[in-house]
Amino acid sequence: MRKGLIAASLGLLAAAMIATSALARSEATATPAQLASCTNVSLGFVGPLTGPAGFLGQEQISWLRFGVQKYNRASGTRFKVVPGDTELKAPVARTVARRFVSDRKVMAVIGPSESQAVRVGGNLYEKAGLVAISGSATAVDLTKGRPYTTFFRVNPNDAIQAPQIVGFVSRNLGAKNVVVIDSQDDYSIPLASAISRGLRARNVTVSRESVSADDTDFSSIVANVGNEVNVVVFATQVASAANTLSNQLREQGKKAVVFGTDGAYSPSQFKPRLGYVSVFAPDLHFDRSARGLVREYNRYSKNRSFGAFGPATYMAGLVAMNAITKACANGQATRSEVVTFVRRTNIPSIFGGTVRFSRAGDPLPTRFSFYKVTNGTYSPVG
Amino acid sequence: MDWDKLVQLLVNGVTLGSVYALVALGFSMIYGILKLLNLAHGDVVMVGAFIGWGVIGWLGGAQDPNVAVWILIVLMLLAAMVGCGFLGVAIERFAYRPLRRAPRIAPLISALGVSFFLQNSVLLLFGADFRSYEAFDLVDVEVGISWGPLNVWIIRIIVIASAFVMMAGLWLLVTRTKLGKAMRATAFDREAAAMMGVDVDRVIVKTFFIGSALAGAAGVLVGLVFGSINHFMGFNYGLKGFTAAVVGGIGSIPGAMFGGLFIGLADALSVGYIEDFTRGRLGSAFSDLVVFLILIVFMLVRPQGIFGKPEVKKV
Repeated sequence: MRKGLIAASLGLLAAAMIATSALARSEATATPAQLASCTNVSLGFVGPLTGPAGFLGQEQISWLRFGVQKYNRASGTRFKVVPGDTELKAPVARTVARRFVSDRKVMAVIGPSESQAVRVGGNLYEKAGLVAISGSATAVDLTKGRPYTTFFRVNPNDAIQAPQIVGFVSRNLGAKNVVVIDSQDDYSIPLASAISRGLRARNVTVSRESVSADDTDFSSIVANVGNEVNVVVFATQVASAANTLSNQLREQGKKAVVFGTDGAYSPSQFKPRLGYVSVFAPDLHFDRSARGLVREYNRYSKNRSFGAFGPATYMAGLVAMNAITKACANGQATRSEVVTFVRRTNIPSIFGGTVRFSRAGDPLPTRFSFYKVTNGTYSPVG
Repeated sequence: MDWDKLVQLLVNGVTLGSVYALVALGFSMIYGILKLLNLAHGDVVMVGAFIGWGVIGWLGGAQDPNVAVWILIVLMLLAAMVGCGFLGVAIERFAYRPLRRAPRIAPLISALGVSFFLQNSVLLLFGADFRSYEAFDLVDVEVGISWGPLNVWIIRIIVIASAFVMMAGLWLLVTRTKLGKAMRATAFDREAAAMMGVDVDRVIVKTFFIGSALAGAAGVLVGLVFGSINHFMGFNYGLKGFTAAVVGGIGSIPGAMFGGLFIGLADALSVGYIEDFTRGRLGSAFSDLVVFLILIVFMLVRPQGIFGKPEVKKV
């Protein structure tokens, strides 16, 4: 009797294991060669919809949805957007990547928005042959040496941002003594290090500080900033943090101005009395040729404020939809075909010129833009 | 020694410490009465911060408020305290009271559930964006005390002063009033207090109201002095407040006040000096290491905290 029970239990266990492995296999069946019906295609958005950088992801997905609606109306397609919230946390981003990889309707990922999310999800997308087109991930190593062959980005990387900031801070702002702050993540540490190295090479005195991404009080960091410091460069993805830092510098009577890197670009959240900010794409508010598009978006979003993150993601969405449409010319498409068509992209950009990619997956050619912020008002300075 | 820096760090530490102390008081009061770690307490701080933010918006915004700034601040504090007080009462009624006779792990899990419930409710209601009090528009950061190299923003002074007034008020309530006596009796021995005619349920409800009201006030003070608030800010303040309560001696009111100030100062001074003391090996990012190292040392050397009394059990 007892032996029979044991045998039956072992049998059940074996059956459960076989069923589980079969299920797991079927979940991961979306391969590069997988044919997809072109009538039901989704774009997976990967970015921080909640958490400290929630403003960034919300702006991006709003512009992506706007772009999809516009494209669908113009081309008679039926693209959909599936949101994937990373919460600005790498482990969550990996879970989102797994979900999209196994969803055969997802033919392209728009994002990941953050460099750390590309690092944890890039190899999953690559294995599944799923193209990922980011509108804001700037870390250099995401494309250097082509570690993820299906990853592309429409924004320039930090190899361009860091030297440009170094040049601007040392030449235009004439800084002799600078504090560089990182926010302890994969985006800000390499960027802050590259800026520090560049400034030191120009004989600028540099000190380093570090804060956590969800810190809201910098008054003790500010106490470390000497009166001789001219500029505080803050590599952050949280624009409101840059704003608080700027105000706390003023509170303690420090003369230094804050220079925020691209993550701080947000006219609604980073509005110091005097500050500077870099961004990977020009702000469309200052571009006369984009007035029509801005008006359309304002109508669509009921005047939701935006900076530079949304339009770049809109562009990434256009690249993806254009490639999928081409791949679907015969009614069915594979993920590898989509990757091939993305690689060959050559479409007009909303920022002027065309969108094309280098062999590494970076956009050609491109540069960062700088803005001066005076009493919360942005104006382009380079 | 850079004295200017030290004095500035002390001011920052006292500001932070006053907020931690208010949070720690709530932890301590509830633990004292129910022997329950109210893990949702940090999220009550967050709700208070959002109520304050709502009041600013309702009264015209920080740039152009419809009332005088001091009236606005008083209204924000009152609204947050009353709102959070009732929230605390509701939490006690629905999440903890049914579990009063259950094993001690059950209310702890319930508290975790309440914490997630509050976070996600605020996320649903207000979205994920960081919200700003725009306190820097409300009162310019250059308004305040400027004494040599030391600059203290008036809002920082208001925050420290309000926290101390509330702490003093609580102290008087606990030591000089009938309710305070009933609270102390209930904390000492719930059953004996009930036998002596104390309405224990009512005392517990009032304790939750007062503890949560202080947390609500702490939320408004955080928003005022640091500017930005978000739906998960409660975790950090809850953790630091809990640490402060443990260091001071959980269950002890003066202990919570002292613990809060101690942790606030440790936090600020470690950010300022950790790099000097470790000769550049550790940066300001590791300040939490110092704070929690203090907690571990206290647990090892004096588990009952500075003002706590060792538990004596009759056998």
